Amino acid sequence: MRNDQRDAELFDEIRLRRALRLEAAELPPRLDVAAIAARAEAARPAFLAASLMSTAVAGLAAAGLVALVAIALPSVAPAVASDLFADGIQTLARLATPASALLSLAAQPTIPIAVIAALAVGIAYEFAQRRERVVEVTS
Amino acid sequence: MTAATRPVAFADAVHEHQDEVFGVALRITGDRDAALDVTSATFLNAFRAFHRYDQTRPVRHWLLRIATNEAITYVRRRGRELRRRIDVEQATALADPTPAPDAESLAREDRARIRSAVSLLPELYRVVIVLRYFNELSVGEIAQVTARPASTVGVQLLRGRALLRSALESRP
Repeated sequence: MRNDQRDAELFDEIRLRRALRLEAAELPPRLDVAAIAARAEAARPAFLAASLMSTAVAGLAAAGLVALVAIALPSVAPAVASDLFADGIQTLARLATPASALLSLAAQPTIPIAVIAALAVGIAYEFAQRRERVVEVTS
Repeated sequence: MTAATRPVAFADAVHEHQDEVFGVALRITGDRDAALDVTSATFLNAFRAFHRYDQTRPVRHWLLRIATNEAITYVRRRGRELRRRIDVEQATALADPTPAPDAESLAREDRARIRSAVSLLPELYRVVIVLRYFNELSVGEIAQVTARPASTVGVQLLRGRALLRSALESRP
């Protein structure tokens, strides 16, 4: 079975090679190396000019961009800085409002922290007592 | 130093490999005029880059790489991937215009069918099939020429052959 498959593949490969082979009538005309060299030389100045041109355009564009940033930055910078400062202050105010309530509660002299602690200890003790096992007395 | 790695002059490279470069272009593009253009562009680019080419490496692979890339670029630019059809009669006439006996005629028809099926393969598989069965390159050499991993080339060869087989079986 495997041999049959292998034979079929080999046959396919031989058929493929035969089919793809160049036939005599398909052969191209001989290339002239001197003509290739001449074409390459003729195209070279245009290629050089095009590459120089594209480099110059890219350089000018980059210089323009840098100049634009340099001009725009001084006029935009104060506005951006003031906006950032205002945003910072606003965020600080938002955070400070709930924080001040918590801090004032902690600083209240009318509810001493010792009382709160004593209450917590009492509650914990009560819970512990309830968890103790009940021993049945039968006398 | 083997013949494949011996330093070569450009003229020698052209004379030795022009048929192979033309052949790979013809089998990938499926069009004689396109193949001539691709061959010309390949040698023009090779001439321009010849001073950068590492002469300790086989010039054949370098030229085939340029030719393959040129052929792929040509095929993509023309957008003929889906609608290209090989004119079987024209291919037959081009191969040999004289009347042929029946057996030879059948063999020619078979070759034309296979070429047509190869030319209709997706470009990914067509390139490796042509490099393997026209240029007789090994999987490793195809990997070098196409800059694809050897394992990928192996899989693409298998799939390409399977696609070819099913195309040929569906159109007896």
